[in-house]
Amino acid sequence: MISNLVKAGLTRRTFLQSSAVTAISAGLPGAAFAADKTIKIGFLAPLTGAVAAWGKPGLDGCQIWAERVNAAGGIKLGDDSYTVELVSYDNEYDPAKARTGATKLIREDGVSFIMMLGGDTWPGVQPVADRTGMLFSTLLPSDLSPDTATLFAPTEVHPIYLVTGVEWLAENRPELKTAVMCAQDDALGLPSVATYLAAFEAAGIEMLDEPLLFDPATTDFAPVVTRLLSKNPDIVCLDTCYSDYVHPIAEQLFQQGFTGQIISATADFYDQMIAKTSKEFMEGFIFQFPDFDDPALNGDNINFEDPNGFYATYNERHPGQWGAVSWEYASIMDLWKAAAEKAGSAAPDAVAAAMKEGGTGNHAFGDAKWWGTELFGIDNALVGDWPVVVIQDGKAVIKGFRSIPDWYDKHGDLLVKHMQAYDQMWDQRS
Amino acid sequence: MLDLLAQTGLNAVYAASYISLVAVGLVLIFGVMGVVNFAHGELFMVGAYAVVALYADLQVPFFVAVAAGLIFVGCLGLVMERALFRPLRDNPLGGLVASIGFLMILQSLAVLGFGVRMEHIPPVTQEVLSLGDKVRLPVARLYVIVAAIVLLSSLWYFLKRTRFGWALRASAQDPEAAMLQGISINQTARIAMFIGAGLAGVAGALTAPLVSVNPHMGHSVIVTAFIVIIVGGVGSLEGAIVASVAYAFVHTFVTTFYDGVLADIVGLSLMLIVLIVKPTGLFGSADRA
Repeated sequence: MISNLVKAGLTRRTFLQSSAVTAISAGLPGAAFAADKTIKIGFLAPLTGAVAAWGKPGLDGCQIWAERVNAAGGIKLGDDSYTVELVSYDNEYDPAKARTGATKLIREDGVSFIMMLGGDTWPGVQPVADRTGMLFSTLLPSDLSPDTATLFAPTEVHPIYLVTGVEWLAENRPELKTAVMCAQDDALGLPSVATYLAAFEAAGIEMLDEPLLFDPATTDFAPVVTRLLSKNPDIVCLDTCYSDYVHPIAEQLFQQGFTGQIISATADFYDQMIAKTSKEFMEGFIFQFPDFDDPALNGDNINFEDPNGFYATYNERHPGQWGAVSWEYASIMDLWKAAAEKAGSAAPDAVAAAMKEGGTGNHAFGDAKWWGTELFGIDNALVGDWPVVVIQDGKAVIKGFRSIPDWYDKHGDLLVKHMQAYDQMWDQRS
Repeated sequence: MLDLLAQTGLNAVYAASYISLVAVGLVLIFGVMGVVNFAHGELFMVGAYAVVALYADLQVPFFVAVAAGLIFVGCLGLVMERALFRPLRDNPLGGLVASIGFLMILQSLAVLGFGVRMEHIPPVTQEVLSLGDKVRLPVARLYVIVAAIVLLSSLWYFLKRTRFGWALRASAQDPEAAMLQGISINQTARIAMFIGAGLAGVAGALTAPLVSVNPHMGHSVIVTAFIVIIVGGVGSLEGAIVASVAYAFVHTFVTTFYDGVLADIVGLSLMLIVLIVKPTGLFGSADRA
C-alpha cells in the first residue's frame, strides 16, 4: 500500500510528515474533550426483546433529561461543573448479558452509576455490584435484600404501589366485590400477584379463583381470558403484565364480552388498546402510570421538574412512544444528581450516603422516606405517594395520590403473608 | 359448563388452525429437502410484518396484505432454497446452521426496519359471532380457521391430484429414484420451499392483528411447531395436522381448566410420551426419523 503511494509520487518524507500531522490532529479532539469534564452514567436495561418497552422509552427520557441538565450547566460537584453522558447497554432482559453489560460499563466506560430495570436481570449483576461497590438502581424493589447494599429503588416501588389502585377502586366502586387475576410466571409477575392479593383482601374484595399464571412465551390469550371470565368476576386484574400481554388480553376481554372493571399496573400505549376495543370498553380502566401532561402533576408536592414540558418534548421526539418508564429513569437521575451535588462527588459510596441522608428523599410524586426493612430486609426503597390513573373519555387522568406507607401501616401483615405464600420475601428468594 | 367447554373448543380450533399452517410448511420443507428450517418461525414473523407494513402503515386492504405476505414470504423461501439450502444439499447439518444464521438476519432486519416495540395493527373487524349465551367467536379468528381449512385442503389436492404434487411426493420418498424418472430435484425443492415458507407467512399475516407483532415473535411459534412435527412424525403432513389439533386441544383445555404453565408441561410431556411409545411419531416412518 505504502509502496504504491510512493510510486504515485508521494515521497517517504512527505508520507511520514502527513502521518505525524494526522496522528497529532486525531489526538486533539480527545484532548479538547478531556478538558470538558464529563460524568458517565450507565443505562443497563432491555432495549430489544419482549421487555424492551420498559427499557427503551426510559433511555429516551434520560437523553432528554441529560440534554436539559447539560444545557443548564451540568452537574456541579464542588467548584466544578460536569456534563452528563449516558452510556447504554442492551441486556435483552437476560441475566448473563446484564452481567457482561455491567462489567463493560464499569471497566471500559468508567461509569459512576448504573440504572437498571432489575427483575430477572439483577441476579446476573449482583456479583459485579458486590465486587466493585458500584451504585445501581432498579425499578423493582423486589430485587432488594440485605445483600444488596449498593442497590437502590429510588423511583418505582413495584409492586407495592399497586395497593393504591385497589384501595381507590374499593372506595369509589364499592359495588364491585369479586375479582380474578392473571399474570406471567416470572420475577415481575409473582411479587405483583402477592401484592394484589393482599390489596384485594384488605379491600374486602373476594378472589373467585387462584391467580392464573401463564408462560411468558404465550401468544394466544383466548384460553386465559375464557378461564378468567368463566368465574363471572366484577373485576379482572391484569397484574404487572408486559404491554405485549396487556393489549391482547384486553382485546380478548372485549371480544369475549366482558363489561366489568379492569385494573392493571400499566396501560402503556392505551390509545392503541382503545383502537382495538372501544372508548366505552376502556372507560374506567385503572392503572398506575400517568401521562405527564396531567394537570395534577403541576402541584407543589411534585418534585419532577417541568413534567408537562418533559412530556411535550418526549412526544415531539418519540410520538406515540410514551410509556410507564419514560419518566422513571429520568426521575432516578434527578435523585442521583441531587445526591452527587450534595456529596460533592460522583463516587458511588459518597452518593449513596448523601442520597439516604436524613432517611428521606424527593420522590417524583412527593417527599418520601427510605423504607423497606421489613419487606426487603433493607431500607433502600424510596416510598411515599403514588398516583391512581383512570382512563376517562379516552385519556389517562390522575384521580389522586395515595400513600403507600399509610396502607402498609394498616395492612402490612397481609402483604407479608401473601409474599411469603409466593416465596417472594427477601429471605425466601434464591 | 357447556358454554365454557364450547368456548374452549373454539379457542382450540383457532390455535390448531395457525399451528397446523406453520407445522405443515415446516414438514413439507423437511420432507422434500431434508433440512430442518430453524428460520421457519421468522418466516411467520415476516408474514406478520408484511401486514404491519401494508395494512397498518399503507392502509392496503387486509386480504391484499395477507396475499402479498404469502407471496413475499414464499419468494423469501425461494431465496433461502437457492442461496442457503441448495449449496448445502448434501450437508443437512449445514442447512440447519445456515437457517439459524438466516433467522438472526431476519430478526435484525425487523429490528432495523420496524424497531423493537410491538406493532399496533388496527383490528380487521370487531364483529363477533355469538354462538350461545357465552360462546363467542371473533370474525378475525374465523378468518384464520377458514384460511387454514382452504389452504390445507388445496395443498392436499395439489399433492395428491397434480403432476407437480406427485413429483414433490416422489422427491420426498426417494430423491434418487425421482431424479432417474426425470424429476428435477431443484424444481421440487423450489416448489416445496415456496409453499412451506408461504404457509408460515400467511399464518403470520392472518394472525398479525390478533397477537403482539415483534421481531422475536417467531420463537414460541417454532418451538410449538417442532413439538407438533415430532409428535406427528417427522416428514408426515397428515401427522402434522393431527398433532396440531391434538396439541392445540390439550394445551388450550389445560390452560383453561388448570393453568398456562402446566399446559406447557403437559404439551412437552405429550411429546415425550409419543417419543417413548412410538419414536417415529404418530405417522412417521423409520427411514425419516
